Amino acid sequence: MISTTLTVPLLEARALSFLRQDEPVFAPIDFQLDAGELALIEGDNGSGKTTLMRILAGLLHVGAGELFWRGEPMQRDRCTGEILFLGHQLGLKADLSPRENLLIAAGLNGYREGSSITSILAEIGLGGFEDEPVRRLSAGQKKRVALARLLLLPASLWLLDEPYANLDRIGIALVNHLLEKHLAAGGAALVTSHGAVSFHGGEPRHIRIHA
Amino acid sequence: MSNWIPLWLHKLSSPPTFYRFAGTLRPWAMALAVLFGVIALYGGLVLAPADYQQGDAYRIIFIHVPCAWMSMFVYAVMGVSSLIALVWRIKLAEVVAMESAPIGAAFTFITLVTGSLWGKPMWGTWWTWDARLTSELVLLFLYLGVIGLYHSFEDRRQGARAAAFLALIGIINVPIVHFSVNWWNTLHQGSTVKLFGPSKIAWGMLWPLLAMTLATKFYYIASLFHRARVDLLALEGGKDWVRQIAEDEARK
Amino acid sequence: MTRPGLAAACAAMLRRDLTLAWRRRGDIAMPVLYALIVTMLFPFALGPEDTLLQRIAGGVILVTVLLAMLLALDGMFSSDVEDGSLEQLVLAPQPLALMMGMKILAHWMTTALPLIVIAPLLAAMLHLPAAVIPVLLLALLLATPLLSLLGAVLVALTAGTRRSGMLLALMLLPLCVPAVIFAAGAVAAAQQGLPWIAPVAWLGAALVLAVVLAPLACAAALRIALDA
Repeated sequence: MISTTLTVPLLEARALSFLRQDEPVFAPIDFQLDAGELALIEGDNGSGKTTLMRILAGLLHVGAGELFWRGEPMQRDRCTGEILFLGHQLGLKADLSPRENLLIAAGLNGYREGSSITSILAEIGLGGFEDEPVRRLSAGQKKRVALARLLLLPASLWLLDEPYANLDRIGIALVNHLLEKHLAAGGAALVTSHGAVSFHGGEPRHIRIHA
Repeated sequence: MSNWIPLWLHKLSSPPTFYRFAGTLRPWAMALAVLFGVIALYGGLVLAPADYQQGDAYRIIFIHVPCAWMSMFVYAVMGVSSLIALVWRIKLAEVVAMESAPIGAAFTFITLVTGSLWGKPMWGTWWTWDARLTSELVLLFLYLGVIGLYHSFEDRRQGARAAAFLALIGIINVPIVHFSVNWWNTLHQGSTVKLFGPSKIAWGMLWPLLAMTLATKFYYIASLFHRARVDLLALEGGKDWVRQIAEDEARK
Repeated sequence: MTRPGLAAACAAMLRRDLTLAWRRRGDIAMPVLYALIVTMLFPFALGPEDTLLQRIAGGVILVTVLLAMLLALDGMFSSDVEDGSLEQLVLAPQPLALMMGMKILAHWMTTALPLIVIAPLLAAMLHLPAAVIPVLLLALLLATPLLSLLGAVLVALTAGTRRSGMLLALMLLPLCVPAVIFAAGAVAAAQQGLPWIAPVAWLGAALVLAVVLAPLACAAALRIALDA
């Protein structure tokens, strides 16, 4: 693999596809993602956005094509912990409080430098709900607990599958604020979304995906 | 020179090549199975002398013993192809492993039924908790577990991989079961029935047995090839080569 | 950024599962009640003869404990699959096999340990001689983790399917034959005044093997089950 550019892209896909029952779920796609960059993955319902996210996260194996992480073929052990995945299922235990859920996440993944659970929960708008069982929270509040993981855990690439779902206008602004902060700090993010998204930091890249 | 075998195997593992290969070989395998089966039955039921102890009842071994061998042989084939399927993700290996399971289960079932039919006149009981019998029964449950797990997945290839994993666990399990039941029998002083005495088997009895062994092997090949072909067509439904076959069939 | 060490991650995992079990402590009582009721049925079905009950006591308790554990096994991963926390666990930068080992340990502590605690009571219900009870407890202490470990591998394999408890039973019970034989064999030998060390030693050896291999197999099975 010879890279002519000096900076190696964080994530690179070449003719990436996934086969289910030997049928490609989406047409082969190519893209590069550099540090500090945001890309929106667009596609209709059933076009394979979630499947793509799960491949990039390392939950599904690459069906066809190649995937590179920092210029080297992506392997599970090389990039775990650098990638943070937020899927449709939020990965929260309903019987535990937001604080306990985040403690477990940090126990497995580690802390981002200088982060504390209490201040993050306040920042994300869940002050006062720290010790309430997650089952008693509203759908939007649960989503916010999951978003708190983004602030808490160290990762250079965020994979956000429909992060705006279930959020009110303040919540959407919050996600955009988190993304901007992450990009400014040199992180990268891939986001799938139906709705239009506005950023202060300029128009994001678009990656189209077809069934 | 030295690498033509892997090359040939690699080529054979592509579904269209195997489909044609299996299609050519299958009628021959079936014909040989019938031929050897008839010879073995004639040799075993008519030509072979009656046993001086067991009379004519022993003749069930001409079915029982080859089926018992096949129940283990098929499991071994299933285990090896399961390993290949898990390590190299070769589709043909998944198909062979999963389509072997019902055939193996059938052989195991026949073994158990014929054994029990034989046991009634010989030991006066349909069933005894002997290590061999128990292992065979556990083998049947393992086959059924593999089949059940395979069919409980929506995605057939994923189901095949999960069931292949179970098949490998089973390979470790069968010898352990055999050993533990042996130990258990000595503890309980149960009926220790020797299935095969030290007596040497006469040639007149041996050759029909061997012929039946060949017949069951060929039957397995024919049956497996048929099932694998059907499975490959279903799995590769959208591919060009399958479309080609469908068009050729329609033209006929 | 700071990455947690292995010990910290294991502790977090164990604490998580134990806290979850404690929040639903009613569920812990279920296998215990099940085992009590099944054991209670045997004297009614067989008649209250002491000698007969004594003879079957060891085997009945072992099979009852096995079935009670089988009931609880199904739920080992189901809630984690449903709420997506299993995905997060698979993606965490920790060895998955070790995390699975912690999950199995937590599961054993919350399902099998209560059963072992009431085993003397079950033994008393069936008039098992008091001298044999230590051997029974030792056999259970070795056999139940074995069942948890084996069961976890199979539950992981079925994590991606429409769950069916019967399928799990079909897969698990043949694998349990050796564990049942040796555990019941130890109790029977102790009851007859014979040396019972050998079967217990075999159980211990099997347990050591399973402790090493089962978490690895469990992690591999889970990756297969999630890959779709």
